[in-house]
Amino acid sequence: MALALPAAVFTALLFLLPVIILLSEAFAVDGEWSLQGYVDFATTPLNQTVFLRTLKLGFLVAFTSAIIGYACAFCIVNLEGKSRGRIFGLVVLPLMISPVARTYAWIVILGRTGIVNDTIVGLGLSDTPIRILFTETAVFIGLLQLFLPLMIISLVSSMENLPRDVISAARVLGANWVQVFTKVILPLTKDGLVMGGTLVFTGSLTAYITPAILGGSRVLMLETLLYQRVNVANDFVSAGVIATILIVMCFAANLLLKRIAKARS
Amino acid sequence: MKNTLAVAAACSLIAGVASAQDETLTISVYAFGVDAMSEAIFTPFEEVCGCEVVIETGNSVERMAKIEVNAADPLIDVAVMSTQDALQLAEQGLLQPLDVSRISSYDDLYPSAQDPIGNHHALGYGFYATSIVYRSDLVEIDSWNDLFSDELRGRVALPNITGTQGPLTLYMLERARGGDDLGFEATIDAIGAHGDDFVTFYSRSSELAQLMMQEEVIAAPAGRFAWSRFAGAELPFAWAEPEEGQAGGMNVITMTAGNGNEDLAYQFIDYWLSTEVQTRVAEAGLDSPANMRVDLAPEVAEPLTYGADLINSLNMIAPADIIANRDAWLERWNENVLN
Repeated sequence: MALALPAAVFTALLFLLPVIILLSEAFAVDGEWSLQGYVDFATTPLNQTVFLRTLKLGFLVAFTSAIIGYACAFCIVNLEGKSRGRIFGLVVLPLMISPVARTYAWIVILGRTGIVNDTIVGLGLSDTPIRILFTETAVFIGLLQLFLPLMIISLVSSMENLPRDVISAARVLGANWVQVFTKVILPLTKDGLVMGGTLVFTGSLTAYITPAILGGSRVLMLETLLYQRVNVANDFVSAGVIATILIVMCFAANLLLKRIAKARS
Repeated sequence: MKNTLAVAAACSLIAGVASAQDETLTISVYAFGVDAMSEAIFTPFEEVCGCEVVIETGNSVERMAKIEVNAADPLIDVAVMSTQDALQLAEQGLLQPLDVSRISSYDDLYPSAQDPIGNHHALGYGFYATSIVYRSDLVEIDSWNDLFSDELRGRVALPNITGTQGPLTLYMLERARGGDDLGFEATIDAIGAHGDDFVTFYSRSSELAQLMMQEEVIAAPAGRFAWSRFAGAELPFAWAEPEEGQAGGMNVITMTAGNGNEDLAYQFIDYWLSTEVQTRVAEAGLDSPANMRVDLAPEVAEPLTYGADLINSLNMIAPADIIANRDAWLERWNENVLN
């Protein structure tokens, strides 16, 4: 216990204290302690819209990445030797590229003259290019591409510990593939799902570059709203409120996922 | 925040002492084009004054906050900014009135640049026009109202209200719609009603340039200072001259109150506003001159906001009106356009 003291003091001074100082700004209105900053934030329609949009996109990205992640992870763990390493390397590769570069690439891809619109018009699905940039769809696509690797990595590491026999056993005993997934794979890989879900959800909530570039001011999310409050309005009270809300949302998501996982087991 | 301010104040105290000892002039400038500005103004001035010029950059909010935090012992001696930011600082007592008898080229400045915010708290050093950049092969722009036309639906970007171009755009749209309400209520509501027709509300001219280069946007209001991004492009861009006229703004140079470095600051302001330096800055394409005696070749003047006829025709919003209305603009914009 005594040996851990220096580390505890170090952590408290360098990590906890700055966070506490930052968050205390949200309670200091005109030099006095007050909850007015939270009341003002909660009663402003734009803030409500931004909060719900952030929550919605975070959930959608986490949910979609879980679906795609399970499919990818299942394929990867069933590959042998070099193929497995190569495919896993491809999954990890985007993480080595700057999010700024990745997001700017989406501007080209999703633009009016980009490959997506060329395909849509080429297939006759629309007469004219459709607007994807600066919509929630663009932000969703950008965030999904950004965080999907984290979900896949979490699920692959979890599935690697899954005995292969259990799936065969379930099939022999008459379970269909849906039952195999819900009754066998899901319960045995829930730790990976909780880990991946937390990373993807919290990452989506706190991402700045992707919503800023692909959503702009039309599709504000909490993180881009926070930036505006500080850099445009010099409003540190609102910024502190938003920072607190983001931290609470991240912890709440983690606790919720853990609780769901525990309830299932 | 208070702790941060205390540390910043302590740093400024140390920096202030060092400043007096070393004949240093600290200037707060916009973050873009600093290297080119150094080459045209700051480095040559160091040779003239035999002093060191320290450059502080950042966005407007950061730079104003730095002046406010260090009010007791200013870290910044000279600052350039928009007229409304200068007026706000002057009203807080953070700027000192300038003794214009110490500015040798004062009489050479355009009248509107000689006392733009009152009490000689600032002098204009550069103008910019705001109009509409558009694809001349695809559309024709004759009026600010054309931004709402069916032909341009889904192909227009507007500047965000939080930047300097946003209010100027609203000002011209309000006039084009026949109104004269500085609250811009009907115009903001109209933009909100057509919200999906606008591609985005951009914050930086570089962002707009990219969107126009990849043909996402084909018309957008922009400051003339951004014109160089479009003028040399392969796509045919044009600068509109709408029937309602062009909007405009001015950047000003100011001196912080009680900085203790007034002699050097006056020397610098005098230097920047001189015909020689204003010409050099204009020829480098960095700023449009506020000095009437600057004589530019047509090809140099083309991308700038240059000439008495143009400058006197610009529709500008009084800085006091911007300060009085901007909170209401932002609130209505957030409610009716972004929400």
